Amino acid sequence: MLKLENLTATVGEEDEAKTIINGLSLEVPAGEVHAIMGPNGAGKSTLSYVLTGRDGYEVTGGSASLEGIDLLDMDPEERAAKGLFLSFQYPVEVPGVPVMTFVRTAMNAQRKLRGEPEISAPDFIKKSRELGAQLNLTSDMLKRPLNVGFSGGEKKRLEIFQMMMLEPRFAILDETDSGLDIDALRTVSDGVNALRSPERGMLVITHYQRLLDHIKPDKVHVLANGKIIKTGGPELALRLEEEGYDGVLGEAA
Amino acid sequence: MTVSMDALKDKFRNPGSAELELIARYAMLPGSSQRERAFEAFAETGLPHRRMEAWKWTDFKAALKQVEASKNAADNAALAAPGQSVIEFTPDGVVLPDNVPAGIKLHERNEAQALGAAEEVPLGAMTAALSGRVGGLDTLIIEVNEPTEQPLHIVTRGDRGETNFARVAVIVRPGASLDLIESHLGGAGFSSFLIELGMQEGGAVSRTILQRGKTDEAQAITAVVTLGEKSEYTQTALAFGAKVARLETRLKHQESGSHATLNGAYLCASGYHADFTSHVRHGAPSSITRQVTKGAVLDGGTGVFQGKFLVPRTVGQHTDADMQHQALLLEDGAEVFAKPELEIYADDVECAHGNTSGALDPNQLFYMRQRGIPEAEARALLTEAFVAEALEEASETAQEALLDAARRFLTDSVR
Repeated sequence: MLKLENLTATVGEEDEAKTIINGLSLEVPAGEVHAIMGPNGAGKSTLSYVLTGRDGYEVTGGSASLEGIDLLDMDPEERAAKGLFLSFQYPVEVPGVPVMTFVRTAMNAQRKLRGEPEISAPDFIKKSRELGAQLNLTSDMLKRPLNVGFSGGEKKRLEIFQMMMLEPRFAILDETDSGLDIDALRTVSDGVNALRSPERGMLVITHYQRLLDHIKPDKVHVLANGKIIKTGGPELALRLEEEGYDGVLGEAA
Repeated sequence: MTVSMDALKDKFRNPGSAELELIARYAMLPGSSQRERAFEAFAETGLPHRRMEAWKWTDFKAALKQVEASKNAADNAALAAPGQSVIEFTPDGVVLPDNVPAGIKLHERNEAQALGAAEEVPLGAMTAALSGRVGGLDTLIIEVNEPTEQPLHIVTRGDRGETNFARVAVIVRPGASLDLIESHLGGAGFSSFLIELGMQEGGAVSRTILQRGKTDEAQAITAVVTLGEKSEYTQTALAFGAKVARLETRLKHQESGSHATLNGAYLCASGYHADFTSHVRHGAPSSITRQVTKGAVLDGGTGVFQGKFLVPRTVGQHTDADMQHQALLLEDGAEVFAKPELEIYADDVECAHGNTSGALDPNQLFYMRQRGIPEAEARALLTEAFVAEALEEASETAQEALLDAARRFLTDSVR
């Protein structure tokens, strides 16, 4: 499904461009959830921005494809329409644009890019009510401007709400656990787990093993210095928790 | 008129050909001492130009080499809905509605009334001197005697004429209220509208303005507003500019406890220039002014904001006033000029102002694009949300139409 081969990427303007992703290879088959863990500065967030096509992140080598389609030549919105979704580590405030308006605009824009008809207003409202209830988001909250005045935990729940509304083929969750208390962590995880399906893949980026108790990964990769240096099952996350990155990385090096 | 053209010309310093045409037009009007006073005031400056401090960014003299007919018909998208009460000013005269809302009386005057502060604004003086017609209407007086709910519309429409000058005076009696909606649609080479609003104790006026023009037109919309005790004035304007367009408001808190809201938004494409200028005098204690002006400008467009609050020492105590201007430069080559001024002599006041200009936030744009919203659509949506704040206080009757006009512009022009 998602296939990265020997990917290298830099961040920053010409002279000051720094290589952050440095020969990264990774494959997440459909139906699987993989976790990426790694110390600060390993390139975790950079990887999520490179894959989603943010300005200022330049791919200098290798390839990245989703279901065999090259991602790297597409604009961010085209990648989104192909089904790539990023749950942001720091969701952005969009003053003046209510959540519902925003999600509906996004949903219809994606459908348009895919050549599909728009969602009907009743279908949209029904779906947003159901999913809002699952995530403890009141209809009042969904009428407020996107992320403006929302707490950290509410913002993360809104990210998952958007994901569930948009039903992407592949989701990247960038530190979705940060800023969540225990109850919110469970709510968010339930939402993510509800989307697990044989057709969908996910990449869960996190610092901590805690999230992986709720969202059980099929594989765990350790990212350091811009590449995957170790891959294992869920037990690898537990070992990292016990021994720290230094212990595990020392062994790998 | 008994005065010769030469004598009239001599009152101006270096009149250009546009001014000569305006002088000739004045010479044909019936004589009136009031009109003469206005003309003298206009003669002192002539068409305002860049060497005058208050006009340094908006030069009517340079924009109006001649008074020429516009090549364009007026944009016909007025804010008025069918069946509503509309007063229409065209170069041929005024058309009054059959159905004037209850509580409102219209009086036609063919001689100018005493002007007061309109003379202090060059284009106000010019309009007062030239709005007359031989044997026709000079000023329309709108007398509001009761609280009224039906909106009253004013439409100015140039019909490819050379000029379209109109003048209105509004008298709001104690406790009366008016929902006034204006559509200034251009269509003449030079359009100028002067409105004087006198509000008596406890009066309320909501004034909602749409301005549209073309890049071969000059337009001025000048308002002189006086607020009586505990009166409330709410102005919301959306301007798309013209070759030059100036929306100037001079407002005076004359008695205590009055409340003014002066909001506006300008959206300028290439070749369009919109200027919001205001002067607010807190001439009585415990009065409130709230002003929010927002703008978004594309490559080759120009936005101007000049705002001034004047709070005299002896009369302006307990003033509460806030002025905000925020502009978005949507493309390289967009220009915005801003001059916010607070001139405060009273010592027990709360006055604040803020002035920013910048580009759209790349973080917001990326976030929206990641969700599948194409860049142009994301930019238009963010810009609409940005300017919408300045239109929140518009009359309910016209608010949706204003937002639609802004949305259509942004969807069509933002890339």
